[in-house]
Amino acid sequence: MPWKQGYTISDEKSLADAEVRWPEGKRCAIHIVADLSVASGPAGIGSRDLASPAAQFAINDGLDLLLGAFARHRLRATFAVPAVMAECYRDRVKDIVEGGHEVAAHGFKHEDVSALSRDEERARIARTTQVLGAITGRRPAGWFALPRQNDAFAGGAISANTMGLLLEAGYDYMGNGLADDLPHYWVTDFASRRAILTLPYYYHFDDQFFCMFPTAGTGLENPDALLRNWRAEFDAQYRRGRFFGMTVHPQHIGWCHRLAGLEAFLGELAGCELWNCTGAECARYWMGAYPAAHSLKLAPSIWQDYPGSLS
Amino acid sequence: MSDSLSAELAELKAAAAHNDARFQRIDKLSWPNGARIAVNVTVDFDAMLLRRLNNEPAMELAKGEFGGRVGVWRLLELFAAHRIKATIFTPGRICELYPEALQAAVRGGHELADHMWEHRVPKEPELARDHLGKTAAALQAISGHRPVGSRSHYPASLLREEGFIYNSHGARSDRPYYVLDERGRPLVLELPFHFAIDDAMFFSFAWYRSGNAGQRLADTDRVFDLWLAAFQQQHRQGGYLNICLHPFVSGRALRVAMLDRLIGAMKAYPGVWFASCEEVARHCLATHPASPTPESATSP
Repeated sequence: MPWKQGYTISDEKSLADAEVRWPEGKRCAIHIVADLSVASGPAGIGSRDLASPAAQFAINDGLDLLLGAFARHRLRATFAVPAVMAECYRDRVKDIVEGGHEVAAHGFKHEDVSALSRDEERARIARTTQVLGAITGRRPAGWFALPRQNDAFAGGAISANTMGLLLEAGYDYMGNGLADDLPHYWVTDFASRRAILTLPYYYHFDDQFFCMFPTAGTGLENPDALLRNWRAEFDAQYRRGRFFGMTVHPQHIGWCHRLAGLEAFLGELAGCELWNCTGAECARYWMGAYPAAHSLKLAPSIWQDYPGSLS
Repeated sequence: MSDSLSAELAELKAAAAHNDARFQRIDKLSWPNGARIAVNVTVDFDAMLLRRLNNEPAMELAKGEFGGRVGVWRLLELFAAHRIKATIFTPGRICELYPEALQAAVRGGHELADHMWEHRVPKEPELARDHLGKTAAALQAISGHRPVGSRSHYPASLLREEGFIYNSHGARSDRPYYVLDERGRPLVLELPFHFAIDDAMFFSFAWYRSGNAGQRLADTDRVFDLWLAAFQQQHRQGGYLNICLHPFVSGRALRVAMLDRLIGAMKAYPGVWFASCEEVARHCLATHPASPTPESATSP
């Protein structure tokens, strides 16, 4: 049994608050992710998804409203863009780039890749990288695998090969991990310490789980709870001097009262000592300030296999 | 027809009598120094073990890993700041995954107790005993003494045989009570735990394999209000409260901040005894032992 494979993906202890430094002496980092996927479930974006009113709203009014809100509050975001969305809406992707935002990859069609063969997944990563690079004029530095509303889990789906393939394809970072609330290294090979930088994500700060969620069922409309979560997490992380990440979708947060909540929250950030980074900026800073070679402290495994226990 | 109704009635009466005979409430429960309420802050340090056991995907394991990398450390800091002793219910495997955090918990004066070997109780009795023994040995290697408490589905008779004095898993009373064997003799003390005072019920997606239509992602204000009301009620009537926290859930910054407010609010009341589960159990056993039942008095 090598290391703690199958259990942990990184070292045993995160950085303490006091060890965290941000550029220009800023107190806390804020990373806003805007998800441009309209996939409803694990199959990824299909023509029915594109035909939905939510998708039409997302790519037109929703995106305008979101870009407007970011511009008004002088904030930059990372847009997680599936290759098919970029191909279908090239002009909209250019609007995003012109707004000063980063375009990162969000799968070929934001599909669940967990059952794909390694070669198939590699081919999809390559095609996605090529499509986004051609449209934005810049090779994407980050890759996302965010959850969809109809997924069984709220963490996003990857395969056993994904992280290694992203490194192989030259990606600087993976945009959504749950093992920390700071950037952290996702180790793909213990012996060589090969690892990909991973940015924090948490579904309690993702609008899709509060805006008509579940889409059919009960619970439904709770953007007030989302807003309270953003405020509570931001306050706590700002005090600690760590990282605040939030995820929005134009089809969800752009609608009426929800947009008002977003505007209110972004307005409250004014005057805070924040480093508003995009994903690539955050990853490059982190890899420079806290390189894996020095900061990753993988304890030797004391793990043993026993009869009658899981390996 | 009336015969079958009588038979049904007799069967249910027998079941009710059997259940009644297997537990005993504590009359006139009192706490040291005249405290009105005992509060057990308990931590279920599963991290990713249950996710792994359920064969959940990689990102779910990473969600659990937060508990070991980040969450548990924050909870220990929180308890230290409030000078309260907690009980860390720890699966034995966690000793191999996060030994440093557990050593820090012991240095902080907290109790380490059993939470199964890999978050399951094997059906085979001998393997169950083996798992319980492995966990006890692993915890002892870190804390220096054998654990006396558990939060598990192990049979109460097995827990007693292995030297455990309490379990914290039942909810037959809102105050500590005894679990009795078939002859009415006490097996273990139960320190009641309730899902309504369990962070994972409010904050964890797909908990207990619940489907998307069952998700209710609560914010911290809501849970603060609910749990403070629970505390106020138990304080008013005099009693007990067990608060169950998971490091991968409650170790998130927004929730540590909420718990800081909650513990502060509880401390402002008079007569609140924050103790480890072991302290509460030893107090109950010493000053409120199980009373002899007719069955136990006549048994050999």
